Amino acid sequence: MGLDDFKQNKDKPFNTLVVAGTLCLVCALVVSTAASALKSFQEANIALDRKKNLLLVAGFTDEAAGGRASIESTYEEYFTATIIDLDTGEEAIEECRAALESYGKTFPDDEDNAKLIAGYDQFKMAGSKNSKVADRVAKKENICNLKSREKFSHVYKVKGESGTVKIYVFPVRGYGLWSMMRGFLAVKPDFQTVEGIVFYDQAETPGLGAEVKSKLFTGEWPGKQIYDDGGEVQIRVIKNADDNHSINALSGATITSNGVTNAMKYWMGPAGFKNYIDRQKSGGEKATSSVTTVVKGANNG
Amino acid sequence: MAKQKAPKELITEPILDNNPIALQVLGICSALAITTQLSTSVTMAVAVIIVTAFSSAAVAMVREYVPSSIRIICQMTIIASMVILVDQCLRAFLYDLSKELSVFVGLIITNCIVMGRAEGFAMKNNPWDSFLDGLGNGLGYGLILIVVGFFRELLGSGKLFGYEILQLKSVGGWYEPNGMMLLPPSAFFLIGIFIWILRTIKPEQIEAS
Repeated sequence: MGLDDFKQNKDKPFNTLVVAGTLCLVCALVVSTAASALKSFQEANIALDRKKNLLLVAGFTDEAAGGRASIESTYEEYFTATIIDLDTGEEAIEECRAALESYGKTFPDDEDNAKLIAGYDQFKMAGSKNSKVADRVAKKENICNLKSREKFSHVYKVKGESGTVKIYVFPVRGYGLWSMMRGFLAVKPDFQTVEGIVFYDQAETPGLGAEVKSKLFTGEWPGKQIYDDGGEVQIRVIKNADDNHSINALSGATITSNGVTNAMKYWMGPAGFKNYIDRQKSGGEKATSSVTTVVKGANNG
Repeated sequence: MAKQKAPKELITEPILDNNPIALQVLGICSALAITTQLSTSVTMAVAVIIVTAFSSAAVAMVREYVPSSIRIICQMTIIASMVILVDQCLRAFLYDLSKELSVFVGLIITNCIVMGRAEGFAMKNNPWDSFLDGLGNGLGYGLILIVVGFFRELLGSGKLFGYEILQLKSVGGWYEPNGMMLLPPSAFFLIGIFIWILRTIKPEQIEAS
């Protein structure tokens, strides 16, 4: 036996199995060690990339979104993140904390909840399918291939010069041809006019669907109107866009384009941020709690 | 291998005399996809050099133990692990570039050059020679990538490494960018021209017709 046996009789079935097994084990060890050792770096990169895309979607220059230091400082200066309850449309940081705790995840109890807000991962919560932090999406409404939707979502506010909120940024996502496309939609305080859109995470076909991230596509969005007079989501990506609700589709990527339309329909509709928007518009006064009753008055403000 | 080659030859030969893209016409697909910018070309070139060199060395190290019936899958396992390693490092340290390269880093696994060297050379030679051979072939591939990336970015968007070289008409300059350079077919033309020039200089590379 010994190593020589493996050299001389390497085609014996037993030796073949041993060699294959050992090789797989060694490779698996190397890969998993590297993956877990580099995880913290990768997560920091992803967090920074989110912030960078938030800056870009809110119309900051490429320069401000250039390096790590400038991204962090610009973000700190202009952005406030909060967590809302998607069903009631209310800011719900404490409720979110309570829900996360009952789910078994705790965050340090700091004064302005910064750690909770920064650390809350709504995609993970949606994926968890746990009824405390996510709701199942009914088949009929499931136009974004979500399966279940998180109860709490981030909303980002961008400060204007006078100290008022200049832009609201909503995290949106929808399924294209191959992948969940995650992005940010920035809207003006009238909750009707698009300020910008960006898709920061997608794996659509390079050269076709992946063009959702190109400036050629996203550049068409600013100024488009989200809702029609009845408060229904009208913004859509279609061939030969001809009005202020529509954006030209990506050629050769119909399914990706439809995915973007569906993402808008879902996330700007009553299952998404519509409740929050209605509440903001009515000046924060207590609206009726039922989801279905809050579909009035979404006209251009 | 018919004759033993000197270590220097192992590195230099695949660059011009036996270039994997220009002479063997392997690994074309990734050369078309990621060469619109010089920065992605260079990153991809470095990634492929690392993968070919180290996977060849690793394959050569275990070559005497690998049963011939499962040798291809063993090579694939080693190559795939190496590629994932490179991909993880890119994600950790060069996130923007790795986003730009997207699936193409993962697709190094299917790059015929890596597999070709593992099967064609590393299975019959010692680890050090295989390492050098992998390095040389990676360099040969990288050279083409960088040449193609250089012309595509310069002519297609007037920039090099993202810095403006030719001022574009759209910002008040004189240069009208050639949009085709940003599309995959232009890489075909550039590689074709490269092969043409190479074979004019080295007529021995022309196949007998």
